[in-house]
Amino acid sequence: MNPDRRRLIISAAGVAVGGMATARLLPEEMLLRDRRRRRSRVAIIAAQEYSESLEGVLVSGLREFHLNLRGRSVLLKPNLVEYIAGVEVNTNPVLVGAAAQAFLKLGADSVVVGEGPGHQRDTYLVLAESGLADQLRSQKISFVDLNRDELFKVPTRATYTGLEHLWLPGTVLKSDFVVSMPKIKTHHWAGVTLSMKNMFGVVPGTKYGWPKNVLHWKGIHRSILDICATVPMHFVIADGVVAMEGNGPLHGTHRHLGKIVLADDPVAADFTCARLMGLDPHRVWHLARAAQFLGNGAYDRIDLIAEGLPLRTDPFDVLPEFASLQMRL
Amino acid sequence: MDIPILISAVHETLKANQKTSGTWGYQGNQGSVESTCLAILALRRQPSIEFARAVHALQGLQNGDGSWPAFTGDEPEGCWTTALAVLSLMPVRHATKPLASGIQWLINARGREARWLWRWKLSRVDTKVQLDPAKFGWSWVSGTTSWVIPTAFALIALQQARQRAYDNTARLTERVELGTSMLLDRMCPGGGWNSGNGVAFGVALAPHIDATSIALLALTGHEKEQAVQRSLHWLVNRLAGCPSPYSLAWGVLAIAAYRRICPEARESLRDRAEELMRLTEGAASIEDNCTLAVSALALEAVNGDGVFEVRT
Repeated sequence: MNPDRRRLIISAAGVAVGGMATARLLPEEMLLRDRRRRRSRVAIIAAQEYSESLEGVLVSGLREFHLNLRGRSVLLKPNLVEYIAGVEVNTNPVLVGAAAQAFLKLGADSVVVGEGPGHQRDTYLVLAESGLADQLRSQKISFVDLNRDELFKVPTRATYTGLEHLWLPGTVLKSDFVVSMPKIKTHHWAGVTLSMKNMFGVVPGTKYGWPKNVLHWKGIHRSILDICATVPMHFVIADGVVAMEGNGPLHGTHRHLGKIVLADDPVAADFTCARLMGLDPHRVWHLARAAQFLGNGAYDRIDLIAEGLPLRTDPFDVLPEFASLQMRL
Repeated sequence: MDIPILISAVHETLKANQKTSGTWGYQGNQGSVESTCLAILALRRQPSIEFARAVHALQGLQNGDGSWPAFTGDEPEGCWTTALAVLSLMPVRHATKPLASGIQWLINARGREARWLWRWKLSRVDTKVQLDPAKFGWSWVSGTTSWVIPTAFALIALQQARQRAYDNTARLTERVELGTSMLLDRMCPGGGWNSGNGVAFGVALAPHIDATSIALLALTGHEKEQAVQRSLHWLVNRLAGCPSPYSLAWGVLAIAAYRRICPEARESLRDRAEELMRLTEGAASIEDNCTLAVSALALEAVNGDGVFEVRT
C-alpha cells in the first residue's frame, strides 16, 4: 500500500477512535440536542382541599398559558399506583375529573385518562377502589389501561439506558396533548416522584414486567431520562394539595402542601415542586441532567406566573439516604 | 342465568373477538400471547375452528429457543408468557414438539438472583428488600429478578407437565422445589403475596388478590404449610365485595382449588361465584379478553373443572 494512503487510513482511524473515546468521556447530556425552551412558565396555585371548585381554579390557571387546545385530543396521565385505604397515594380523582372538565371547557376535542400501574396488574381494581372509576363514569370520560394498550416501537431520543427503542402505548403516541398529573411525593428509590417519574406509568408492563423490571435494572434515573426524552409530554398538573413525605411513594405520611402546580415544561415543573418540598432539585440525579438538555431548572429561566416560592420551607421528611436533598437555611 | 349458559355466552363473545390471525388482543388490534393462551384454555372443551386457528397462531409465535414473546411483533426474547403458552398447549395432542421445547426453556429459565454475584449483592449490599436470593423463581423478562406471578405460572405449568408425563426428570422436580421455596420466602407477613416481596424498606407490603390467587394455585399440595393457610384465609376475606371481575375470577379459581380441604374456602365459594356471575353477565360490556377468559375459567372451576389445579 502507498505509504501516504496508509498514513491517511491510520490518521482517519485515529480520529475515529479518539472521537469515540472523547464521546464516551463526555456526560451524555452534552451529546444530546438541547431541547430547552428559552423560558418556561410555572403556576403555583393555592388549593386547600379537593372540591368542585378545582375545576374553576384549573380553568383560570390554564388560561394563563394561552394553550391552543381547539380540536385536540388530550391524554391525562395521573399517578395511579395502588389503593391503600386512608392513604393519599394516587393523584386525587377529584383533581383528575376537574382537569378533564377544564380541558374540555377550553376547547379540547376529547379527553381520556390513561395509566399503566407499576405493581398492580389489575388496573381496574385500583381504578375502582381509588374512586377514579366512579369519577370518570360520572363525567363520561374514558380510561385506557396503558399496560394493555397496543404497542409501537419508538427509537429512544436519549441514551442513558442503552436501550435503542421503547415500546410505547398507541394511546400516548396518538394523543395531541399529553398531560402528566403526578402526586407530589418522596420516593424511596428516586428521591422524589414528580411529573417526570410519573411517566414510568406509560411504559407497558406486558413488555417490561411489573414493576417495569427491565427499566429498574437499567437504573431508575436513567430510565426516567430516556422515557421523558422519548415520550411527548406537553403539560403538567401536579397534585400537591395533600402530598407525601418520608417513605414514599406508598408508605409515607401525608403532608398538606395546599398547592397545585401547572407548567408547560416538566423539568421546570419538577424543579419547582422539589423546591416547594424543601428539596434541592440539583441533587436529584435525573433532574440535574434533565435541566441540561430537556427543560429548564434555573430560576432565571422559569417564570412563576401565579404565586411565588415561599421564603422558607420546612423540608419534606426523607429516608436517611436522601437526607442530602433537604435544603436547610 | 345459570353457570353453563353464562360460560357459553362468554365463549361466544371470545369467538367474536378473535382476530383473523387467530390471536386475541387485550382489547386493541395487537395479538397478545397472554390473552390468546387464556382464550385457548377457555375454549379447550369445544372443538371449533376458532380453537384450531388459535392453537396454530400460538405455535407460530413461538421463538426459536422454545420460549414465547409477549405480543405479536415483539422481539424474539422469551418472557413470562411462556408458562401460559405451555399450559394452554398441554390439552392439544399434536403439540408435543413445541411443548417439549417450551418446557425445557422454563426449566432453564431463572431469576437474575440465581447468579452468584447478584445473590451476594442482594444478601449483603442491597438489603432494603427482604428476601433470600438463594431461593429464586422466574422473572417477567429474561435478565431480571424473580417475581411472584411469573413464578406461580411457571410452577403450575411444570407441575402439570410432570403429571401429564411430558417431563419426569429430576431437573424439573428440583426446579419446582426451588421455585416453591421462593414463593414461600416472598410471602407477606400476614399471608398472601404482593407482586414480588413481602417486606421492603422495613414495611410489610399488602397482598394483591391476583398474585395471591395464582400463588395459591401453584401451591396446591402444600396446604399443610401455615403460610398457605394464612394466605387462603386472607384471600377468602379480601374477595368479598371485590369490584373487579379479573381479580375476583382469579380468587374464585383459587378458592375452588382448595374447597375440598378448607371449609372456609368451600363456604365462601358460592357467594363469590354469584358475585362473579353478576359482574360477568354483561359479557359484551367487558372489553378485556383476558378478563373474559379468566371469568369463564373461574366459572368452570366452580363446576369442578379447575384448569390451573395441580393434582397431588
